[in-house]
This record gives sequence, structure tokens and C-alpha cells, in this order.
Amino acid sequence: MELLNALFRSPPWEAVRLGLHLAFGLALLFWLWQALQLRFVVPLKHLARPRAWLLPVVGLLGLSLVAILGYQATWQLGGTARPQFIAFMQSHDRRQFNPAHWIQRGRILDQRGQVLAESRNRDGAAERVYPYGSVFAHAIGYADPRFGLSGVEAMANPALNGSTLDSLGDWGELGRQLLTQSKRPRGQDLVTTLDAGLQQAAVEQIASAKGIGRGAVVLMRPADGAVLVMASVPGFDPNQLQPTLFRGADPATPLLNRATQGQYPPGSVFKVILAAQALENGFRGRLDNPANGYTTSSRYRPIRDHEYYEAQRSGRAWAGHGVLDLTTALAKSSNVFFAQLGVLGGHRALTKTGERFLFNRSIAFVGGPSGTVHLQAAQLEPIPERDRYGLAQAAIGQGRVTTTPAYMALVAAAIANDGVAMRPRLLRDTKPEVLGRFMSADTARRLRVMLRRAVTDGTGRGIETAGLEIAGKTGTAENPQGASHSWFVGFAPASAPRLAFAVLVEHGGYGSTVAAPIARDLLLKAAEQGF
Amino acid sequence: MARRGTPISIGDYWQLRAPERRLLLWALLIALLGYLMLLGAGPKDGLDVQFVALVPFLIYLGTFVSAHLLLVLARFRGDQLLLPLTALLSAIGLIAQARTGLFAAAALDPAKLIPLPLGVALMLIFAIAGRGGRYRLATRVTWLWAGVSLLLLALVLATGQRYRGAVYGFGFITPTELLKLTLVLFTAAFVDQHLKRLSRWRSLLPPLRSLWPLLLVWMLVLAMLLVQRDLGLVLILGVMLLAVLAAGTRHPGYLAYGLVLGGAAGAALISLFTHGQRRVEVWLNPFSDPTGAGWQVLQGLSGMYAGGLWGEGFSQARPRYTPIAESDLIYAVWAEELGFAGSVLLVMLFALLLIRLLTLAARARTPFGLMAATGVAAVLSVQTLLNIGGVTKALPLTGITLPLISHGGSSLLTVFASLGLVLAISDGEPVKSRRKSMVKPDKGEATIEKRERSARQAKTGKAA
Repeated sequence: MELLNALFRSPPWEAVRLGLHLAFGLALLFWLWQALQLRFVVPLKHLARPRAWLLPVVGLLGLSLVAILGYQATWQLGGTARPQFIAFMQSHDRRQFNPAHWIQRGRILDQRGQVLAESRNRDGAAERVYPYGSVFAHAIGYADPRFGLSGVEAMANPALNGSTLDSLGDWGELGRQLLTQSKRPRGQDLVTTLDAGLQQAAVEQIASAKGIGRGAVVLMRPADGAVLVMASVPGFDPNQLQPTLFRGADPATPLLNRATQGQYPPGSVFKVILAAQALENGFRGRLDNPANGYTTSSRYRPIRDHEYYEAQRSGRAWAGHGVLDLTTALAKSSNVFFAQLGVLGGHRALTKTGERFLFNRSIAFVGGPSGTVHLQAAQLEPIPERDRYGLAQAAIGQGRVTTTPAYMALVAAAIANDGVAMRPRLLRDTKPEVLGRFMSADTARRLRVMLRRAVTDGTGRGIETAGLEIAGKTGTAENPQGASHSWFVGFAPASAPRLAFAVLVEHGGYGSTVAAPIARDLLLKAAEQGF
Repeated sequence: MARRGTPISIGDYWQLRAPERRLLLWALLIALLGYLMLLGAGPKDGLDVQFVALVPFLIYLGTFVSAHLLLVLARFRGDQLLLPLTALLSAIGLIAQARTGLFAAAALDPAKLIPLPLGVALMLIFAIAGRGGRYRLATRVTWLWAGVSLLLLALVLATGQRYRGAVYGFGFITPTELLKLTLVLFTAAFVDQHLKRLSRWRSLLPPLRSLWPLLLVWMLVLAMLLVQRDLGLVLILGVMLLAVLAAGTRHPGYLAYGLVLGGAAGAALISLFTHGQRRVEVWLNPFSDPTGAGWQVLQGLSGMYAGGLWGEGFSQARPRYTPIAESDLIYAVWAEELGFAGSVLLVMLFALLLIRLLTLAARARTPFGLMAATGVAAVLSVQTLLNIGGVTKALPLTGITLPLISHGGSSLLTVFASLGLVLAISDGEPVKSRRKSMVKPDKGEATIEKRERSARQAKTGKAA
């Protein structure tokens, strides 16, 4: 026994062990060979000739075993191609030597090559580092052994893990890693459509805005759906994930991606959709807008314009907007006009518009094989046929309708892109996809003029900047939680839009004074960078 | 091809069984190699190897060496491949079980060491007692096998306890394992007795008048098994029944009816039993509940993925993270430690064993031998496929042991006894005819010459 122990403790044992393993495998192979030879040596002459069914049955058995082994290989050797499996092992497998823990995930870069996420080696284990901290917390997400994957990290997981076998070279690399039992698999780098500078500026602007420093910004290219900014504030630091974050105890809900999942009353920005509906249905008329407001029944409080309340506060009298056409009403953001317009259109028209604009849906980004990021479209609860007041309220973006900032950016992008909404994209090397046609090209063209008017002569005139040619719609959305949410949705330049955006500041107050300037600053910065 | 003379003395049999001996010695050497590497990991963790750690291996060694000697002494003429093959697979089982901590020095208890020698002893008893055609005595007590089967099931139902969704016998032994042998014997014996009538179909109608007693017993068995929710065993036994009927009567109708009825029953069962339903759901998408129902199979697969192509080597991996590693998922342990390459070797060994069993069945001299061996081959084939398929997620996990490898006394004993039965069948014709040929006078010289020639050929065969 002591001899044995001495052998096991001696330094060459490791080498001997490897040799013994080889010998073990070879001996088994040799044994199998010998056993096959035995057929001829011991022919079992005293038994009967084999029945005819032997060969097919043996063939069937052999095929089943080979099939099972083949399937086993897809897990044991090709496991990296199963992102859920890798994610499971990364979060639930305690074997230190499991290569899943050692995968050097590829880097995630912004469109200019700035590193948004990379893997570094620390104490022998791969560690994911996010240089921008909470700025990209929602867009890029996280890849954590305990908490799993989210955002782009989840969407592009196979490529980041190096398991997309697109070329012969990829197959060769997989073969090399298998043969050498490599514990350092390396993934592919990935370029996103995001822009680190703009994203950072957006996050800073929201955080320092009036209100409680919460909100979201989405900036995208209308022509191909590329998302340049997807900011949600507050964020969280993906470098230091804590279990408390996932318990959801924080009232600021930092885990919530406000850009794609935060449902807010849209307020006046919803009038853009109502205007599109009216144009599509051939509305070219004018409506009278009494200062006293409009209601569907004397039981309900009349819907009034905000100028009415302003005048009331300062003790002045206000004559009302009088007779307006659609363009002016949109520029002045007249509640009375749009409430009437909505009721005039009727329930069925709004339902139809909702179908065309993909209301109540979850819209997938252009994704990878392992799933994708989604954004929620506007939510419109069904309004009963009798409830005309609800219809009037929905028409001005209050009541039963809510929406996410990303969806409003998508609507603005559709207007900018001749009515066609492109499916949003986060990965540079994905092909642009058409999501759907929201409105006719003619309607889109008319709306572009109207929204430009809203900035030159309407509620957005405070941000009119030479050279930018911003077109957009402000929104000041009342909500039961406190001060109104501040919205600004639009695109620029109006004549040939290159960028579409939506800005939301929670409880920021007026859209024209809080959200609109943030959009202007971002567009200025984008223009500086040549977008 | 060597024409062998008729062996007479013990010495002749010693010569006759030389190929078996050679293969067995190689198998034991391979086992020693594996066991040595297994022990080699201990000192690395600061633990000295104690003598007790060698005890399981020494018992294993002694068991198979004496098994070979006993076969020679008993003038056994049957198959020479099964014993070494069994020895090799048992060695792999021994190593894999040692890896799961079954023989930890502190827990070295006789109950864990005894199943292997006991099983081999059982195999030898079956083989030697049944040699020379005496195995056909089993047909005289057809209804004994049926009675034992039903009694076993009733006992388990009465005293069993529920664990992991199925019923287990007292103290977690599973007496239902024995059904795999008793039902093979009953079915083969019954069909043997009514072979002519059972082969005579009236166009598309099976001969129900002769078939009904068999069907009745099987209905009772399957019903009781379903109450225990042992779906895996139902599948194994069902395939066995069809294989025995088809091989014995040579009528394709049994297979056709069986497959249609079996498929319909399977579909109905899965939609009725939540137990089976859940397993199918987990099988199709284990990631729907990764930390719950999908945990077992996913942990096994994780271990296999960690093992990669070559594995971590004996004692280098961490199979204890795999649930129920010592029995149902032992294949995953092997694949983790020796990689995909190792599992290919193991599957090849199993393929060799199953093909050998099928060959012996297909070449049996008597209809009863044919059917009994077919039954055993069918049981072991389905069991192996279900286990390996379940662990690799190619099939739903059914909670079935891997023959000869998994820990589990009753399973091991049944497998060994079944192999003993096939060995007995492979011994061939009755002793009487053997005596006749032995009496013939002037064959002695020629016999010795031929024997030598055959031995030479054996050597060249080996060299090639």
C-alpha cells in the first residue's frame, strides 16, 4: 500500500496517469477487436443456424445506439450552440472545470467601436465588465452566472459565446477546442447600432431634468430601424448586480426598461396617431372649439384646452381657439378639437387604427437565433360602444390609452419613412426588416408638414433651432401619481428625416419646456457628430 | 474455421475455453488499470489509499476468476464471450460506482459488496443447472412463473412506498425488477406449449381462444404496474412480449397488432397520467423548469458537456453534482469522467453484449430457448436504450437502471440471472447426444490433433 501511495504522490504520476488513460482506452479498443475475432475461433457449431431476423434486428439496434450517440454529441460536444443550455450551466453548474464558466465572451461595441461590454480574466475566471456602468444597463443588459442574461447579451448570446458556426474556420476552431479540451473558448465581437456618446448625453439629460430625474429616450434611424439611443433612467450597475435589485423593492424600479416596457399615458403625443387616422379617413374639415370645452354628456366634466386653465389661474378671460383645421389644431395641441375628432371618427375607426398601428402587441426587435428584445406597443383597453366620453379621452391620450417611449419613436419613424415602420434593430450586422405600413405615404407627407408647423408655430416653438429643422409633437400627460409626464416625439430634419426620437420625462411637467429641449440638445449633438 | 473434436476431460475443457480465459484476463487487466487510476486521485487530495479501498476490486477479481474456473469444471460448452463481456461491463460499473462514493472507506458495508458476487453466482447456477438442454425444465412450471410474477406485484402494491412518483418495495429495493426474468420465462413457456395453435391465424384474427390466458396474465401485470406508475417497466415488458411472440410464432401479425395497440395505449396513458405527461413535457423542454423538473437531466448534461470529448479522467471530475448519479444517471458520470470518447467505447461494449445475446437467441436449438433468449435480449436492449436515451435527453427520462453498471441490487441480480439463462441456452443440445459421440472409439487421436489445430488457429486469430 505504501508503495502505491508513494507512486500516487510522486511528481511523474500526473504524466503516468495520462499515459494510463491512453492505455485504458486503447486496451478497451483492443479488447473489442479481440472479441470480434472470437466469432471465428469459437463458431458455436453446436447451435442452429441463425434465424433470418437476426440481421435486421441487429441493424435496428445499432442504428438506435448510433442515433443516441449522435444526439449526445450535440450536447456534449456542440453544447455551445444551445444558448439556454450554456445559460443554465453558467448559472446552475458548480463544476469549476466546466468550460461554460470560462467562455471569453466576445466584446460588445457601439457603432464607433467604443467598448460597451467585455470579458476580462480575474483570478482565473472570466469576468464581464461594462465600462459605461448603468448607462447601457437596459440596452446591453448583463450576462451574469447568477442572474442570467438580458438585453443584447441575451439576444446575441450564441455569437458572443462563439457558437455560431458560420464558416469553415468556425468549425475548425470548435474542433480544435474539443480535441485539446480547451478551457478558454473565445466568442465573437459584436457591433451594435448604439452610440455611446449620444446615449450618455441622453442619460445625463434625463437624470438632471426637472421632475424626479426619471425617464427614457429613444433615438432611431427611420430608414432602417437602427436604434442609436435606448436610454432608461434610473439604471443599475451591471458590474455589481445585487439580489436586492431583482426583488423589486426599490420604488424607483431601476430594473424596468422604461424605454420599451414603461407604459405611460401619452397625452397630446397621441394626437399624432389621431391626426393620421383622420387624414387616412379623408377628414379635411374644420371644427369649432368653444373655450368652455367639449363633453359627450352633461354628466361628465368638459374636456378643455390648457389655455383655459392658464387664463383661469391668472384671472383672465379666454375666448377659445374658435374654428380650427387639423394642422392648426395639432400645432396648438387643442384638446377640444381632438376630443371631437375622436368621437366623430367613432369607436370602429379607432379600433381599426389600433390594428394598423399594432396596438396591444409586443414588437420584437430584429433578433438573433436566441431570442430578442421586445418593445410594447401602445395599450388601448377596449372602449364600450356606449362610452363616448372614454373615446373622447382616448383621443387626447388620456384615460384608457398608455404607450411606451420606444413605441412613440417607432410611430415618429414611420411618419418620417413615408408611413412604413421599420422593425427596430440593435445589432449592426442584421438586415433591416419592414415591420408594417402604419399609414399611406400621402398621410405621412401631410403629417410631416403638420409636425413641422407644430415646432415653427405651435407648442414646440421654444426649441426651434436653425439648421436642425425639427418636427415634433409635445405632450403633457396627466397622471394620478403626480405632476404631468413630459413628452416630445418627432423627427429631424423635417424635409428628409434622418433621425426619429421620443423623449419622456416622468413628472417633468410641460412637454414643451422639459422634454423638447432634451430632444433638441440630443439632435444638436448628433448633428455635431454628423448623423 | 476450426472443426473441433469432442472434448472429454477437464483438460479438454480448459483448452476449449482458452479464448474466454484470454479475453477475461484482458478484461481484468483493463479493470485493474481503471481502478488504479481511480485510486490515484486520493493522495492528490491529501488522503492516503487504505487497504480497504482495494477490497471491492479484489472481490470482483476473485468472483470472475472463479466463475471461469467453475465453467471449466462444469464442462460447460456454451458461449465464451458473455462472461468476459460481463466482467468488463461490471468493471466499468464498479469504477463508476466507486466514483459516486459507494465504496467510501468508512461506508464499506457488506450489503454494498455482496450484489456482484451473488449475481455472478446466480448466473453460474442458472448456466450450469440449465446446461445441456435442461433449461427446458422451466416449461414444466409455466404457471409458477405467472404466479410468482403476480404475487410479487401484489406484494409490492400492498407494502410498497411512494418515492419520486413511483412505488418502491420495502426498504427501497425494487422486487419488480424480478419480473423481467419471471415474465420472460412464463411467456416463453406458454407460447412454447401452444406454439402451433398460436401460429395459426384466421386471416387477420389472432387465435384468441388459445391466447386468452396469456393476455389475462399480462393485463393483470400491466394494470398493477400502471397503478405503481412504472411506465418504464411497462414499456420494457411490452416490447419483450411482442418480441417473444413474434420470434416464437414467426407470425408478423403479433408485431403489427402490438405496435398499433401499444402506440394507442401509450398515447392514452400519456394523456391520462400526469406523471407521464410531466416527464414528456420536461423531455421536450427541460428549460421550462430548469431548477425543478428539468434539473436532473440538465445537471447530467452539464456534467457531460464539462467532460467534453476526452473527459476529465478518472476521479478528476465532479459527478457528485449529478443527481441520482449512482443509479439512473450513471451513464452521465461515465461520460463526464471519460468524455464522449469513453461513452462511445461503453456503448460499443453494450452493442457487443446485446448483439451477442440476439445472436445466441437467433441460433438457439429449441423454440423455448429461442423465445427465452429473445425475451432476455429484448429486455436488456430496451432497458439500455431507455436509460442511455433518457440521460442524453434523446428520450424521456424513465427512471430505469443501466444494466450491469447502475447500483441496485435487485436490478443487478436479475440481469445476472437472465444472462445465466442465455448461457444455459447457448450450451445447446441435450447431454445424451454428447455421450453418444464420446463413446465412439477411434476418434481420440484425430480429436487431439484437431484440438491442437484449433488452438493454433486461435492464436493466429488473436495475432491478426
